[in-house]
Amino acid sequence: MTAIVPEALQFPTAFARAQSGDHDAFAELVGKHEAMVYSLAWNFFGDRSKAEEIAQDVFLQLYRHLESIESDSHLLFWLRQVTTRRCIDQLRRARFKIVSLEHAEDVAASPRVADPLLDRRLKAMVQELPELQRAVVTLRYQEDLDPSEICGIVGMPVNTVKSHLHRALQALRRKLEKHP
Amino acid sequence: MSLEEDLRRALRRESPAPGFAARVLERIERDGEPATQVRQHSGRTWRAVAASLTLTALLGGWAFTVHQRREGERAREQVLLAMRIAGEKVRYAQQEVRTIGSTD
Repeated sequence: MTAIVPEALQFPTAFARAQSGDHDAFAELVGKHEAMVYSLAWNFFGDRSKAEEIAQDVFLQLYRHLESIESDSHLLFWLRQVTTRRCIDQLRRARFKIVSLEHAEDVAASPRVADPLLDRRLKAMVQELPELQRAVVTLRYQEDLDPSEICGIVGMPVNTVKSHLHRALQALRRKLEKHP
Repeated sequence: MSLEEDLRRALRRESPAPGFAARVLERIERDGEPATQVRQHSGRTWRAVAASLTLTALLGGWAFTVHQRREGERAREQVLLAMRIAGEKVRYAQQEVRTIGSTD
């Protein structure tokens, strides 16, 4: 007679192994989520070294709070929340010099990019939005999250998230129309 | 293309520079503390620098006071020595006067 063992127990996930102190598994977790965390900060600030610093801080914080994370989905939520809050806090603490279009860093060439110039303009315009609108827009379009998911991350009612999103899109449209 | 599609493309995920996970693990091994706490460390460093500067100033002030006291004592000793010499000379002069008076 063979006992039915859940698959998760037979093959513990990187998350479960990292929780038990496996450094390689933690590195695997970092590798899995680094693009998401880094991009949230990169799209928020438009500064690669700042994005790297914030992303490193977030993963160090994760390392120290790994025990409090309950599941893979909780981990994803936690990473998005901590990164977004760090970005907003950092911006509020020391208002960053907004990167102008002329000084915006080059976007790596990608076959998916239809209009690199428009991408750069949009990115820079997003980085000029007020911090909450910026966070909401980044979570909506980078992470493809619904307002109902975003509200938990930024700690705001869903209608407030929708209103921030609406105002941000209006502002972006106005700017695009003004400088087509 | 709609603005929303343009935003999805412009804000797509990008990877950090290669070796990111290794850099994170290095930080964990080095200090296990986020950069913001490293900055708090530098705050602590500044406080330590300020404290050592205050201590230096206090010690300097104390050394200056001691130096001044020693200078004062040396000056007092010189005055006393000068007075002693002057007193001896006065006594010698008085003796001479007396000797001249008795021979007259």
